[in-house]
Amino acid sequence: MSASNSDRKRELLGLYNEPDDAADAVSRLRGAGFGGNDIEIISATPYPEGAFGEQHAKHRLFAFPFAGAACGLAVAIAWHIGAQIALPIVTGGKPVVAVPAIIQVLYEGTMLGAVLFTVLGVLFESRLPDGVGVYDDRIADGLIGVSVIARERRIPDAQIALEEANAVDVLSKDGSLMRPAAASP
Amino acid sequence: MIKPEAVGLSLKIRPPYRPSTIAINRRSALAIGVGLVAALGVVMYVVKLFSWGDRAEWAYPAAITLFVLSAVSAAPLVAFASRMARGYWALPTRRVVELFALPSMVLFALLIPILGSLPPFEQDGVTRANLWFGWGGGAPFLTDQLAVSVMLLAGGALMWFAAVPDLAGPPSRVRAMPTWKRLLFLNWTGTKKQWEVLRTGIRWMSAFYLMMYVFVTMILTTDLGQSLLPGWRSGIFPAYHVITSFQGAVALIVITLFLLRRYAPNVGQFIGDEQAASFGKLLLALTLFWFYFFWSDFLLVWYARLPSEVAAVQTNVAVTYIVPFLIAMFGQFLIPFVTLIFNPIRRKLARLATVSVVVLIGLLFDRIRLFVASMSSENPFSHALAELPEPYYPNVIDILFMIGVVGIVAAIYLWVLSRIPTPGGWEMREGAMYRREQKYMHAEVLLLGKPD
Repeated sequence: MSASNSDRKRELLGLYNEPDDAADAVSRLRGAGFGGNDIEIISATPYPEGAFGEQHAKHRLFAFPFAGAACGLAVAIAWHIGAQIALPIVTGGKPVVAVPAIIQVLYEGTMLGAVLFTVLGVLFESRLPDGVGVYDDRIADGLIGVSVIARERRIPDAQIALEEANAVDVLSKDGSLMRPAAASP
Repeated sequence: MIKPEAVGLSLKIRPPYRPSTIAINRRSALAIGVGLVAALGVVMYVVKLFSWGDRAEWAYPAAITLFVLSAVSAAPLVAFASRMARGYWALPTRRVVELFALPSMVLFALLIPILGSLPPFEQDGVTRANLWFGWGGGAPFLTDQLAVSVMLLAGGALMWFAAVPDLAGPPSRVRAMPTWKRLLFLNWTGTKKQWEVLRTGIRWMSAFYLMMYVFVTMILTTDLGQSLLPGWRSGIFPAYHVITSFQGAVALIVITLFLLRRYAPNVGQFIGDEQAASFGKLLLALTLFWFYFFWSDFLLVWYARLPSEVAAVQTNVAVTYIVPFLIAMFGQFLIPFVTLIFNPIRRKLARLATVSVVVLIGLLFDRIRLFVASMSSENPFSHALAELPEPYYPNVIDILFMIGVVGIVAAIYLWVLSRIPTPGGWEMREGAMYRREQKYMHAEVLLLGKPD
């Protein structure tokens, strides 16, 4: 096997009946030297954070509302000041652009930006991580998937770790890697 | 002890419990009846459009619009409250209430002619009371509709995000979708990150929805209420409106749950005394709030005795609209208070639903006394009423319009019930993981896990 082939990354997916087995698989993968970012849990029901000993799922969704709010605020300020300057009416002797009078419009603009950016943020952050491409519809039937991305030369180690944790099946993009007798339906 | 429905505790993760949509036969009497009433609503809306710009003609449509804002649009907030408070009793009801975000969309269409009928801020050198300081950048039409749009966008996104895991199906189905549809379904696979993003997204959207709901209530009740009735000045009124909206929303939810329990067994099997007892407490608390907010508002005016404010209160409380006010007071406070203090009424869904009907009738008449009075006010540019106005009675079109709007809301809700699985499957399954009945000495107790 050439060096470039052995450095290529592949994905394996182990399927488990019980959450304890999936947690065991994660422990074994960690023990075999696979890092937190290489391991992904896939399930049809949300389990508590850290239930499988997996790494905290990082995302940047919190940044989107703030960015959107800032953009919305800027647009609202421009809208309001633009309108006031275009049609300057002095009301009750107050300045043409008076802060108390523009709060509502600024609030609307800020919220509009925050909501829009949050929707976009959810769409953006829901993308799948690079390399995750092996799926099995049995996950939708309640099995728990443990996905691991490994370099070609480490695939056997990953497969052993997944199988030893009482896997129902272990899959690569080419299909099941378990012998027919071993893979239970 | 009030127990959860046993079927809710015994839900399985494998094979997973999957909710279904509610099958509604389009040829059934219910579907045809609701469809006809909704069609009537559309026809009346078109008929009313011929009165474009005539503010008094839009008085009763404004009242029913504010009623929809109160009871229907506030309903999704109950899902937010129960998620924030980790109220697992509300698990079977969260999807039911979130779906009200869709019928809320009628607000946008309803408000176009209503806001279009409002007078300008300034006329013949006289400025009327308003929240916008006479701003000429599109207020109130553009600003109010923009605020409503942001609220509806947040509500729609909240409803959609929460439904995606149940709608998406297995990964192979999502993978086979065209790109735009896959994006709409959040590329749903069920990875840890996706679950985390989904939860965070739902939390943010819920918070935004609440923030916008309160804001929309403030500006709409001012632009369609206080700014049109000379002498009506109240800082507490928007808060009164929000609280009574929550009361109306809880009443609407109770009625919906009762109907679902009776006619939709796939949802109704999860709904029982646990939900009734919790919603009953909420309804009683909000009923007491009605008195607090009304009295706080009323007492200041009564004590200060400013002639302009007294005239406004005489208009929408004591003299001109006293009949709708009395119906509202009995419906929103006296009857629910006297009945809900008794456990046997508060804890049984059917009885609670009966009280809820009374509450909704009270709410409708409350909105009539408040917004018909202001929308039909003759001169919003004066600062005090010269004399008390005559009541503005509804004509046949007004009554049909109001009935039709209720039909449109019901039709949209039934449609969305037939499209989105109810109750929320993933939350029900998750709830089943964390709740268990267990023997404790001689009693059965509920063990509850709260993971975050």
